[in-house]
Amino acid sequence: MRLPAYLSFSLLVCTPLLAQESETTSVGGYGEVHYTNSTGVGTPGTVNVARFVVYLAHSFSERLAFRSELELEDTKIEGGEEGGEVALEQIYLDYRFSPAFTLRAGLVLPPIGIVNEIHEPPTFNGVARPSFDRNVIPTTWRDIGVGAVGVLPGSSGLSYRVYLVNGLKAAGFDAVAGIRGGRQEGKEASFANPSLTGRLEWARPGVRIGGSFWYGGSANQDPALSTGSFGNAVAVLTADARYDVGPFMFRGVLANISIADAEEINTVYGGQVGSRIAGGYVEGAYNVLSALAPSSTQQLNAFVRYENYNTHAGVPTGVAVDDSLARRITTVGLSYKPLYNVIFKGDFQLLRNKGGVGENEIASLGVGYQF
Amino acid sequence: MRSQAWGWGISSSAWLRRWYCPAAVLLVLFPAPLTIAWGQSAPVQKVTKSVERIFGAGVQVDTINVDSVQVLRVSRGGSLLGFAQIRNVKGKDQPITYLVAIDSADVLKDIDVLVYREPYGGEVAYEPWRKQFRGKTTTAPLLVGKDIRNISGATISSHSVTLGVRQTLAALSAWHAAGRIH
Repeated sequence: MRLPAYLSFSLLVCTPLLAQESETTSVGGYGEVHYTNSTGVGTPGTVNVARFVVYLAHSFSERLAFRSELELEDTKIEGGEEGGEVALEQIYLDYRFSPAFTLRAGLVLPPIGIVNEIHEPPTFNGVARPSFDRNVIPTTWRDIGVGAVGVLPGSSGLSYRVYLVNGLKAAGFDAVAGIRGGRQEGKEASFANPSLTGRLEWARPGVRIGGSFWYGGSANQDPALSTGSFGNAVAVLTADARYDVGPFMFRGVLANISIADAEEINTVYGGQVGSRIAGGYVEGAYNVLSALAPSSTQQLNAFVRYENYNTHAGVPTGVAVDDSLARRITTVGLSYKPLYNVIFKGDFQLLRNKGGVGENEIASLGVGYQF
Repeated sequence: MRSQAWGWGISSSAWLRRWYCPAAVLLVLFPAPLTIAWGQSAPVQKVTKSVERIFGAGVQVDTINVDSVQVLRVSRGGSLLGFAQIRNVKGKDQPITYLVAIDSADVLKDIDVLVYREPYGGEVAYEPWRKQFRGKTTTAPLLVGKDIRNISGATISSHSVTLGVRQTLAALSAWHAAGRIH
């Protein structure tokens, strides 16, 4: 006689339940050291510990976890000297109700583009992050708020993240780096302009496609601008894709940022902020070792990346288009990965712009790791 | 490790009614040694569902002790269908609880990611990624970038689970060949 299913499973069901649940603390980190040499007079090569980041996480229970990243940029900070930063990049609590719904609260990364959330050096080619991920998507963008993350049930391949966070401050916007200076980074941040950001993405082995948004005001209740919650709104829309097939790896990002009230912002703060910031990049890479040493699990990726973006893609009344802001950056280089979480990089960049102003070339070397 | 296991409901009479489980009573009195390294385990329903999904409904599952760990022996009508084991492997900062099932000829039938606790990379639980493991034996490389495709943005999890599956498949096959599970 066959046993009923519940009896057949009796031993099985008892076993996992008796496994002890434990609190665990884990430490991780990532870092990168750069050598950079620009062409031109008076620009000697420089070496710098660009980032040293400690990742500290703790699970209080099966469902409740704390995660954080503490970053030191440029080796040290010293009074009266430029550069250097000690900053919390992330600090949040996750409460996992189910794979489809985790509640997250704290200092979080707006899920925009590729590099903002996944920025560990072995995950991207090139010594420095793409210039686009500085001047268009202002990585590492982080703000304080609350939201939800999860994978949609079944095998749809869809996952999402959505957060309500503190907003940008228009006082920090500028022509060259767009909204970058408007980030508050969780430091005594104003919550005058709660902003909504989110992402939907679809993944399969070798493929990930995502779309992201940000919408929120930037007036910070400045009476000269607007006192409304969504005053001087900034709208960000991005799309990105990653595709790996055999020894080839491709990725690309597109972004459009609208600052509808740029004219008003410029009037109040005296800047030359564009009303539209747009552009993107495409990158292709080929693992040379797949041909030279097919049995190796190491990677030597030759890559080329082309960035094209303009922080003056649209300008408001009163601002003359600055053609030097329509930038084209071509990067060619090699990434050697003896393991998937360690990288040695070298690249050469051609920095060009429509205005032909201040064009130069940069050679860089770097090492990076994550664990 | 702190003992919080009872919080999972062993002592709950509702639980006992739902999962009639005489062995549980004995084990509460004489707690068994840890069967899964590194604490976290999977809820009963998920294990049950996984074994039934892989081997079919109405199978008989027996627990075999091999050294300090346990292997599930799956059979139907007295004939062996295969074996399965639940293990944890470290992701970025959390254990990923997974199950590996092999058939009676030591061919990998399927894997399941039973509990995923990381903030990113949950796509390793998806069918399109898991199905890459079916039909593998210990002669397969089972390496990301070789016979297993990575998921961009889930690189650490892809490598971790692949490593875990490779080790589990090797262990189950070796125990089976040595007659320690049969």
